[in-house]
This record gives sequence, C-alpha cells and structure tokens, in this order.
Amino acid sequence: MKHKIELPKIDELNFPLIYKHLGNFIKSEVLKAGVNRVVLGLSGGIDSAASCFLAASALGKDNVTALIMPYESSSKSSMEDALKVVNTLGIKYYVLDISKQINEYFKDKTEVSGNVVAAGDDIALKLRKGNKMARERMSILYDYSYKLNSLVLGTSNKSELLLGYGTLYGDMASALNPIGDIYKTQIYQLAEHLGIPKTIINKPPSADLWEGQSDESELGFTYKTADDIMYLLIDKMYKPEVVISLGFEENTVNKIYERIKKSQYKRRMPLIAKVSERTINIDFRYLRDWA
Amino acid sequence: MKNKSNSSINVCLAQTDPKTGDLKKNIESHIEIISSAKNKGAEIVIFPELSLTGYFLKDSVYDLGVEINSDESAVFEPLYKISEELNIAVIAGFVEKDADFNFYNSTFCVYNGKLINVHRKVYLPTYGMFEELRYFKPGDGFGVFDLNGVKISVLTCEDAWHLSSSYIAVNKGAHIIIINSASPARGITGGLDKFNSTKMWEELLSVIAFYYKSYVIYANRVGFEDGIGFSGGSCVINPSGNIESKMAYIETGEIIAEVNLNLLNNERFKTPLLRDENLNLTLKELENIINNNKVK
Repeated sequence: MKHKIELPKIDELNFPLIYKHLGNFIKSEVLKAGVNRVVLGLSGGIDSAASCFLAASALGKDNVTALIMPYESSSKSSMEDALKVVNTLGIKYYVLDISKQINEYFKDKTEVSGNVVAAGDDIALKLRKGNKMARERMSILYDYSYKLNSLVLGTSNKSELLLGYGTLYGDMASALNPIGDIYKTQIYQLAEHLGIPKTIINKPPSADLWEGQSDESELGFTYKTADDIMYLLIDKMYKPEVVISLGFEENTVNKIYERIKKSQYKRRMPLIAKVSERTINIDFRYLRDWA
Repeated sequence: MKNKSNSSINVCLAQTDPKTGDLKKNIESHIEIISSAKNKGAEIVIFPELSLTGYFLKDSVYDLGVEINSDESAVFEPLYKISEELNIAVIAGFVEKDADFNFYNSTFCVYNGKLINVHRKVYLPTYGMFEELRYFKPGDGFGVFDLNGVKISVLTCEDAWHLSSSYIAVNKGAHIIIINSASPARGITGGLDKFNSTKMWEELLSVIAFYYKSYVIYANRVGFEDGIGFSGGSCVINPSGNIESKMAYIETGEIIAEVNLNLLNNERFKTPLLRDENLNLTLKELENIINNNKVK
C-alpha cells in the first residue's frame, strides 16, 4: 500500500486537549438545556463506556446515571463489563431487563417476517428483534430522562454513524453525543487514556443483539480498514477513485461509500413537505441553542 | 491616556464565551470584564468577533442588528459610559445594521464615551460550516485609526487569512493589527498538543507580525454553539514573530499584556521591510492582473 495520509491518532500529546474539549462540550450543552445531569445506556462496550467516563468527569459522578438494559441473550460478560464501568466511576445505575416486553411483542410474530420458517434462523426477524431492542432501550432512556431530569447522552461513534450501523430512533437517538465525531479506531486510543478497564478495550466489538454477533464479520471489513478509508472519503473529501488510487481495495472502498450514501437518511431529521413560506429546518433556521 | 507612540500600551485580551443571541447579558459581562481590566492597569480591552451576540446566529441576525449611528445605538450606552468613566478603549464585536437594512459582521472601538472606529468584516467565509455571506454584506476596506498616537487596524477572523488585508493595514500605517475572531476548533494530529486550526492560526499570526513588522493581537473566543467549540488561544505576537503572551486554548479568561512600541521602532529599523515596500510596483502588477482577468 502506498497511502500515506493516515487517520490521526489520539495520543498522550493531544489527549489532554481533546479530553477537556469533550468535557466542555458536555458541560456547556447540558447546562444550556437548563439541567445538569445526563442518563445513558451502558452496554458493557467501549463506546458507551467512553461516553460515560467523559460525562462523569465533566458533570461529576453524582450527575450521571447509567441504565444497564440486558436482554435474555445478552452475554454475561457485557453485564460484568457494564458493572465494572459504574463501579469504577461510582455512578448511580439501574438494571432493567427488557426480555419480557420484547418476547411479549414477538410472541405471535415469528413467521411474519419473510420467507417463513424457524424463528432462530430468520435473519430478518433477528434484525427486527435487534431494532426493537434498541428502540425499547431508547424508550426507557427517554422515560428516565424525564424522571431524572437528565438529558440522554449519546454513545454512537463516527464509524457506525457513517456506516449506518445503528438503529434509527434506537441507539442513534440522544440529546447530545460527545463521541459522534470520533472514529472507532480512535475510540480505542481515547479509551486507553481515559483509563477504561482493559477487558472492555480488548474484546471484539459487538452490538450484542444476538449471541456471538460481531460487528466486523457482519460489516465484512474491519473498523481499522473502514476508518482509514472513511477518513479519506469524509474528512479529507477524497473521491472514491482517489482513495482506490492510494492503494485501498476497490471493492471495500465502494462498499463503504455505498453504505455511507444509503444510510444518509438516518443522519437527518425527517423530511417535511414545504407548503408555507417559512418551513422548519428549511428556511426557518436557528441554532438548537437558540433560547 | 497619554500619547503612546514612543512607549508602551497595556492591552487586555478578553477570551469570552458569549451567550448566543443575548445582547443584554453580553453587555453586562463585557462591563464586568472592562472594570476588572481597568483595575489591572489595562488601557484597552479587546473582545472576540461578535462578542456581544455570539457567532452562529443564523436567522437571529435579523433580531440583533443595531444601527450604530442612530438612536438604536443607545443599547450600547453602558459601554460608551464605562469607556468614558474609566478612560479606557473597548473593542467589541456586534451585528451592525445600516440605514438601508444591510447587516454586517462589525467591530467597534469606543473610547472616552465616543465611537472612534467601526470595522466591517470584508472576507465573509461561506464554505464548510460557515455561512456568513448568507446573512452579512461585506465591508469595503481595511482602515487604520489613531488611539493616542498608536495606529491600529482591526481585521476580523477570515480577513486575516487574506494576506492582502494585513499588507494594506501596515502600509496604511498600522503599528498594531488587532485580529478578533470566532475560530472553531477543528482537526487533530498525533503528536500535536493543539487543534490543527490553532496551529495554522499561530503560524499565520507569526508571519503577519514578522514580515509586516507589526504587533499582532489575536482575540479568539471559546465556548460551544450547537456542538461547535471555539479554540481560544488569544495571544500577542511581537514584530519578531514571537508569542509574548498567550491564553489557554479552551478556557475563558483575561490577560493583560504590555505592547512595547519601542520594540516596533527597533524591529522596523533593523529590518526595514515596510520602508522598502514598492507600492507602485504592487499597484502596477495589480492593474495588470485585473486587466488581464477582464473578459475580452
């Protein structure tokens, strides 16, 4: 490979500034909303752990609440790792098992999803269940947001947001997200400096929506490869053919570029049909921080 | 304030986090900073770009415009008053509206209760995250004004990225170039303890100060607007191109810095780049460029 422009590393030299910057972001945007607390879903994975560590240091441990929301198939180690995060930080947390409502909803629906058959083998059903779980967790988070007078803190990284590897109005929903402009590869580097427990850093990335699920085998490429490519496509605004000419595999570049384009709808607000002379988000334009 | 052209002047850099869209609150916080700066010996207080309104204003530009030479300027009366009471100069950014209802990204200098200068930002970035030309009309020049014998020119943020602006300012006689800005922090690099955007700024400021033999004072804001954070790092750069005083990157605060005009005298004598500048040659070349670019 001849490509030289690499995804920037978060290292010991730039970490202090990035850490402070993200902390300032959380503090400033939360306080502007008139509250001083956040609530977030903690999966046991590295992304929510990173958001949680950042929030606890920005707002103080008493102002961060974690919700751990396992489903019956969630791996035991996820729960253990989530508990490691709350115990390390000393923050409040609730464990809310979502199996009952998910199973109740899907009780009579196993054969609806397409080509028939056994629920366990049906990929479409698996995805529907995964999406439903993500939205159930979102729904609980927003209920706790009201109950605890807290904003919902996002935990999606830039890689999954760009690849559309998330559930619309599920795990992608939040009031503010400190790590949404940080690629997965960089999240690992950030996590080292934040002092996130090693078991969380070292395990393979998984949405843990079903047993043995792996992000990278599902996507068909590694985050490292995807991040190097997306850094050139998005941050550097290079056309796919230029990225390929730099030595990246054509199929992978095209596949990633297509994924980014096809998932654009997930990153935008719903479309509104323009009728009036001044339409929300079209020509009625104010910051969210308007008030 | 005595005549300063042969000595030094104490400037206060105010690295603020304006409350977006809240003119009244921002005026109050400006007044607090001006009072405390005076107590620390400041003779001039410099605030960032659009310090009285916030930066990413979008449609609220319409609500915040002030016609500075009309009754509307009464809203700034507290700033005029404190500049008179404390015998201090105040440089602050606001949304200006003219009599024809055009809006400008402007910066005023108020001293001894009087408006002594307004700079309308000339180069309005409208690319990437910026959309200034959507709302503002560009200013039409780079002026120099006199503050007790010290010649000052104000450039606002993107103005400074066009090296022609500082070229014009120093050749018009500026001793001090004040650059007020609202520069978003962006870009990281392994092994670099600042944002990429900050690195570019510091290089630029140093180039302007050294090659145009002038003091450069950079007042940049901090805080967040809809997820975009501003990088701070306000500083004073001397005509040797070195940073003399500098603030932390992403914290609010104030510093008082002494700008020593004897050093400017010394630098301009040792390296008389400005004396030797051939304005006629530049003019001739510019005329050629403009004539050749004309559609024939």
